[in-house]
Amino acid sequence: MTEINKNPNLLEDALRNALRREDAPEGFALRVLARALPQASAAQEAQRASWLSIFSQPLLRWSAVAAVTICLVIGGIYYRNLQRQRAEGEAAKQQLMLALRIAGSKLQLAKEKVNEINTSRPEPQPQNRSPRSRS
Amino acid sequence: MVFSIAHHFLTDAPSAEELAQDVFLQLHATLPTLKSEEHVKFWLRKVTAHRCIDYQRRRKLPQVSLDEAPEPMSPAQSSDPLVARRLQQFVASLPEKPRLIVILRYQEDMLPEDIATVLAMPVATVKSYLQRSLALLREKVTRTMGEVTI
Repeated sequence: MTEINKNPNLLEDALRNALRREDAPEGFALRVLARALPQASAAQEAQRASWLSIFSQPLLRWSAVAAVTICLVIGGIYYRNLQRQRAEGEAAKQQLMLALRIAGSKLQLAKEKVNEINTSRPEPQPQNRSPRSRS
Repeated sequence: MVFSIAHHFLTDAPSAEELAQDVFLQLHATLPTLKSEEHVKFWLRKVTAHRCIDYQRRRKLPQVSLDEAPEPMSPAQSSDPLVARRLQQFVASLPEKPRLIVILRYQEDMLPEDIATVLAMPVATVKSYLQRSLALLREKVTRTMGEVTI
């Protein structure tokens, strides 16, 4: 029989026995998960809110509104200019086509006239050669 | 491990569970920064140890001193669960840091060097706390339990 209060090793063994690991209560993991899930979604919400929180300051909010308005106005003007240029281009194209058609018909007319003149003119007769030129 | 350290330190199961849940929630947030299983184990012991001390200070849990611990009716055997229970009470009556060191030494079977790393204190201090705690516990066992035999 050995007394634990006199033998250091036995006291240490008794402490190991008294302080051996205990299992967590039943359902512990589920309770941790139940707490973790709302925290995870709250963290996501906070991250999203931190993005939007920059608009909580009036100066930044109005700056953002002004920037969006300016972008819309500039975009509108650019779009209208683009539309106008397209319309002008289309009109110029139509005019060019018309001009080409007119020019084509005029050319055809002129060609017909030239042909008509050529057919109505008599054939030129060949001339005699001089004797001087022969010697 | 986490619940067990907290339970032996706080001697209160609901408080130990609350603390353990807090530790695991913190682990959930910190996990990406931990590199290996050993690192996780080290981190859990360290955070649990510090949270135990913080929790005790915040809640001001009643601490029974060695002298106030009730005397047993008769000498008991060390294999007796009652002896283990009394030893747990004696450990719970130790001051914060020595108590944590004894729990890490005999529950987690950690070496004084490892305990010193976890608690960020010199190894000599850990050894000194351990020796004094063992002497105190031995004295208490002698005084309150008489001849405990195995």
